[in-house]
Amino acid sequence: MTSNPDSDSQNASSSQDASKPPIQTIHLPTMEEIQGQDIWNNCAVRSVVSGVMGGGLGLAMGLFLGALDNPLMQDQMTGRQQLIYQAKQMGQRSWSSCKAFAVMGFVFSAAECVVEKARAKHDITNTVVAGCVTGGAISARGGPKATCVGCAGFAAFSVVIEKFLERHT
Amino acid sequence: MAAGNAPSAHEREQIIGMMEKEMEYRVDMFNKLTHTCFSKCVENKYKEAELNMGENSCIDRCVSKYWQVTNLVGQLLGNSRPPM
Repeated sequence: MTSNPDSDSQNASSSQDASKPPIQTIHLPTMEEIQGQDIWNNCAVRSVVSGVMGGGLGLAMGLFLGALDNPLMQDQMTGRQQLIYQAKQMGQRSWSSCKAFAVMGFVFSAAECVVEKARAKHDITNTVVAGCVTGGAISARGGPKATCVGCAGFAAFSVVIEKFLERHT
Repeated sequence: MAAGNAPSAHEREQIIGMMEKEMEYRVDMFNKLTHTCFSKCVENKYKEAELNMGENSCIDRCVSKYWQVTNLVGQLLGNSRPPM
């Protein structure tokens, strides 16, 4: 179905050419094409990919923030020791941040996918519920009040990010 | 086909006519199904070219229900011959 408007516009623009491209018949997608597109509808695949992307983002952020840390005993260490300390700091920081962001991405994507599949609608409500679940899961250790605050905060944050992404895509 | 091995010309015409009618019926049903599920499930704003997951599962459910309704109505029409 998507091939028809292309061929029509080609026909209109090249009507002055000597050779017109033939009109293409309706092309129903084959099973491989459907399966290839369907892999992106699978909740597990989506959440794993989001988790990996979140992990990558966490790595980068952790590296960057870890590089900003200055060692405490700057006078007593040689240059090489400072470098080693700096590298360890950056590595620790980036690994812990990578894990946190990977979990965040995984939970958010899984929650959004499940909710959207159940509702069969593409709304902002999916983002709100997924953000609340993620925020609540992250701050679940602080008790019920911290869970509520984390839920509301992360839901608001994800709504803002979603609106920003919608406008700029 | 109670006649011999090869159907006669008349029977062949009948079979071809039935196949044409069947083909028209199927094409009509496909068009109606596509139109109904598209207008029901896909939002008018067209923010992106790909189908969302929500739209995808909506279309799955729409097609499934439409097919069940078609079968059910066909059975009801087939079972009760005299009009009610």
